[in-house]
Amino acid sequence: MMQPEKGNKAIIIFLLFFSVVFLLPLLVSLTNSLMPEAEIQMNYTDKRSVFDVLDQIQEKFIRFRFIPGRITLSQYKEVLINQPSFLALLLNSAKITLPVVVGNIVFSLLSAYGFTIWQWRCKEAVFFIYILVMLMPLQAVLVPNYIIADFLNIRDSYLAIILPGIFSPFGAFLLRQQMKHIPPAYLEAAKIDGAGVCQTFFHVVLPQMKSGIAALAMLIFIDYWNVVEQAVIFIKDYTREPLSVYLSRLVEGQTGLAFAASCVYMLFPFWMLVLGQKHLEKGIEMSGVK
Amino acid sequence: MNNLKAFDHKFWGPGFFVLLPGLLGFLLFYIAPFLLSLGYGFTDKAVGGSFAGLDNYADLLQNPAYLKALKNSLIFMGLCIPLNMALSLVLALMVRSAGKYRGIFVFIFLIPLVVPSGSMVFFWKAVFSHHGMLNGLLNSLGLTSINWLASGWSRLVVLLIFIWKNLGYNMVLFLAGLGSIPPEYYEAAQIDGAGRFSCFRYITAVSLAPTFVLVLIMSVVNSFKVFKEIYLITGSYPHESIYMLQHFMNNMFNSLNYQKLATATSLMVLIMTMLTQLLLRLERKVG
Repeated sequence: MMQPEKGNKAIIIFLLFFSVVFLLPLLVSLTNSLMPEAEIQMNYTDKRSVFDVLDQIQEKFIRFRFIPGRITLSQYKEVLINQPSFLALLLNSAKITLPVVVGNIVFSLLSAYGFTIWQWRCKEAVFFIYILVMLMPLQAVLVPNYIIADFLNIRDSYLAIILPGIFSPFGAFLLRQQMKHIPPAYLEAAKIDGAGVCQTFFHVVLPQMKSGIAALAMLIFIDYWNVVEQAVIFIKDYTREPLSVYLSRLVEGQTGLAFAASCVYMLFPFWMLVLGQKHLEKGIEMSGVK
Repeated sequence: MNNLKAFDHKFWGPGFFVLLPGLLGFLLFYIAPFLLSLGYGFTDKAVGGSFAGLDNYADLLQNPAYLKALKNSLIFMGLCIPLNMALSLVLALMVRSAGKYRGIFVFIFLIPLVVPSGSMVFFWKAVFSHHGMLNGLLNSLGLTSINWLASGWSRLVVLLIFIWKNLGYNMVLFLAGLGSIPPEYYEAAQIDGAGRFSCFRYITAVSLAPTFVLVLIMSVVNSFKVFKEIYLITGSYPHESIYMLQHFMNNMFNSLNYQKLATATSLMVLIMTMLTQLLLRLERKVG
């Protein structure tokens, strides 16, 4: 606050220390994903080995090893090459997430633009309903989702998750917030120059929306890559589950590759954060209802 | 944008037709089925039922599982929202003072937000299970084990995981709020001889009032997301102290109890509508 450029040394050192503690869960996952499977299985079991029994150890606890005894990519090889079922589950996640991201961006752009140029006097009341639904917890929306999926006979298909995702009101809200930054004079000037609604959209509005679209894409991707509730309700077949749900089951039997599987799965949103941190921050700021 | 004279002022203007595809989808997938479910809440059977008045609501409010879930959800919100707000504000103030390293710290504290809940399940289980790392630590210190996930302690575990995941979101909102306070305020206060504390009390806290309400609204909404972690770590029937409203509704899905589901949904929508309305009004008042 006082010296914004130099920064306060004591605070930076404290934050550095706190960051290490804060990132510990991820650091452990990462280093452990490079361990041989046998080492994982030995560290992460509460079953006593023959030696433990001979040593009269009564209870065995899970121990974390931060540094692998031997660094190896064998877990990753197992996950990515030897077990095609894992890739199939990863693909399931993509099959749900990508259509929602693309579809939501398209319809949200249209809706936001519609709300911007629609001059009906009650449009803010309609928009307020969008905001109310947007603020509903997921569980309140699930029953309506289920009813409509039942009605359209898509209950066992990914469409039961994808279609409500495409039309979720959050995107329209976020992009309209962003569109408010376009000066109205631009739109009027385009109209006076004889541009139609379409031309104005493609030549005036869309070029200004790049960061808004990026922010929306990231927020929706993160949300649907982490889909749990809808998948639990709609998908009964284990092989069609997204990896987000399956990971909690995988860990019971296949301890040895749990860390590599987890790391592969988090790689995609992590990579998005690295590329688009500024957009994500903007997206969070804009997602607040003002 | 209300003085866009060049465009039509009519209901049937081009704006309406641009909005139409999205609006139809929104009506079909959200509003219409919600109205239907509202209707289910007032009938005694899903198919061919007759009007049951408020019977379903009376039943629900006497259902011990529902009441327990409601109580737990309220306790969780009462703990997690203020704690997360306080911690994220402190963190935002610190990150702001980190000068050129600010971006790196924001990056670090945003990581848990983007990491899928499923990716951390194995880690959390390894820490908190009965023979987990934490109990191993307690044991080596000569203390007795604690059943972290199957006792009242599970509340603390869930709180910890929730704050770990959501600290960054609130921090970004607070950073934006802090950034919108004109630096001249602080300069003027310093000239007047104000100390650090009075700067915070009379400038930061006052100017942040709208941000506080905004963070509060988003915290209420986000607090429901903790279900993902609880569900993935402990399944459909966790310890009774972390059995949330979401568990109740999720389990109703499994038994396909339409009436209870529809009633619980309507009640949740009603309460959330009133709550968000109240908070939005408050936001406009302080803003």
